[in-house]
Amino acid sequence: DLCDELALVDVMEDKLKGEAMDLQHGALFLKTHKIVADKDYSVTANSKVVVVTAGARQQEGESRLNLVQRNVNIFKFIIPNIVKYSPNCILLVVSNPVDILTYVAWKLSGFPRHRVIGSGTNLDSARFRHLMGEKFHLHPSSCHGWIIGEHGDSSVAVWSGVNIAGVSLQNLNPNMGADGDSENWKDMHKKVVDGAYEVIKLKGYTSWAIGMSVADLVESIIKNLHKVHPVSTLIQGMHGVKDEVFLSIPCVLGNSGLTDVVHMTLKPEEEKQLAKSAETLWGVQKELTL
Amino acid sequence: YAVTANSRLVVLTAGVRQQEGESRLNLVQRNVNVFKSIVPQIVKYSPNCSILVVSNPVDVLTYVTWKLSGLPKHRVIGSGTNLDSARFRYLMAERLGIHASSFNGWVLGEHGDTSVPVWSGANVAGVNLQKLNPEIGTDADKEQWKATHKAVVDSAYEVIKLKGYTNWAIGFSVADLTESIVKNLSRVHPVSTMVKDMYGIGEDVFLSLPCVLNGSGVGSVVNMTLTDGEVAQLRKSADTLWGIQKDLKDL
Repeated sequence: DLCDELALVDVMEDKLKGEAMDLQHGALFLKTHKIVADKDYSVTANSKVVVVTAGARQQEGESRLNLVQRNVNIFKFIIPNIVKYSPNCILLVVSNPVDILTYVAWKLSGFPRHRVIGSGTNLDSARFRHLMGEKFHLHPSSCHGWIIGEHGDSSVAVWSGVNIAGVSLQNLNPNMGADGDSENWKDMHKKVVDGAYEVIKLKGYTSWAIGMSVADLVESIIKNLHKVHPVSTLIQGMHGVKDEVFLSIPCVLGNSGLTDVVHMTLKPEEEKQLAKSAETLWGVQKELTL
Repeated sequence: YAVTANSRLVVLTAGVRQQEGESRLNLVQRNVNVFKSIVPQIVKYSPNCSILVVSNPVDVLTYVTWKLSGLPKHRVIGSGTNLDSARFRYLMAERLGIHASSFNGWVLGEHGDTSVPVWSGANVAGVNLQKLNPEIGTDADKEQWKATHKAVVDSAYEVIKLKGYTNWAIGFSVADLTESIVKNLSRVHPVSTMVKDMYGIGEDVFLSLPCVLNGSGVGSVVNMTLTDGEVAQLRKSADTLWGIQKDLKDL
């Protein structure tokens, strides 16, 4: 149980009320004493963390970047309303394309950058660690690997950091992730990139993994854990990026939001891929009118 | 079903669910047919499992599962009024300003329109509500507590009307039962079990009574002290259910 009070907001009033009632009926089994829901944002007043998942989601085969204009319009209504009632909250953006929408939320809210965080590649990294776990028959928590950059098609797998118990796998296999790699690590990263498309094709949407990954981030924030997570933040001035781009790098999360970032030592190819990710995102961002 | 081999507990939620305004009892024939194909497969691969039936109408389908599986009655359990009781405790606790777990109240009988709120047992910290308000739950009750039980009975219909189905509360309630079984806790839950020969019920009916749940399923049934009026309601629940069960063929 993450929070003591939960407020839900949506525009579909019946569905919203139904979900809130269904959750309230589970009150006996929970330790969240107050669950409220309304289309009016006043119900969210004084929130510590506000998670934004609203907006259009990918149809089968559709890329996250394609959702941008529709979701920017929705955010123009949502973000000012959130800020009005919880001027000191931490904004956690999940709606896609998450990196661009985190930038949009930052601009529209006027918040300092440490209080606007995108769920980013926390999920991609979780998917990668799951696949690694399957490969080595280990629990994912014992498999370490970071996916950074865009939460999407141009994400970057940092091969130089992949390790189990501190043993660098790239040191054992210098070809890791390259075209000649006999272990075909590149395919594992491709599975991560294709992950959402696959699930959407099979069941129409994804819910479980993204839900758990967001709960993981909220836990670090609410319990002030100072855990490091790959989440979307402003990386202008890092890794040679000059534009106001948001993308995922390892960040420390606590109850004031993003307290520190980790400057990863990347190999030249990895820096290049990150710069390319940033370019892709800036290409879309600069066309937006906010 | 090979993928389920050697399960300790099998939770059965398959089948059709209520449409807006539809009663659970209306689902019976369709779901009996679904169960005829499912239950033998479950038992084939996990002959030593316990089965927790959730599909509606849960009391009738628990009876059907018991018949189709050939398992002993302590290993065939219906999720029953575990959810109704949770909803009751939430709604009562809300009126009193306390957490649901601090309100003790049991809803027994059918998981559905004829469920029985045991007002004689309702208490907070051992303080019996009926002793404070002898009219509690009756039509004469100035505080209209009966409305709270009615809200429990109407709950599912309400949520279905708003969002199309229910999932959260029933999911949590089934997880709660699963925990008692898998962790061998011997906690008492209102679940659907075979009640023949209790409270003067003469038929092979399944309905919810307080049961001790542990690693082998239903360990024992609590013989709850009920008023004559409550026993009458329970038997009415049993009659309603037997009315439907007796027409089921080829089980």
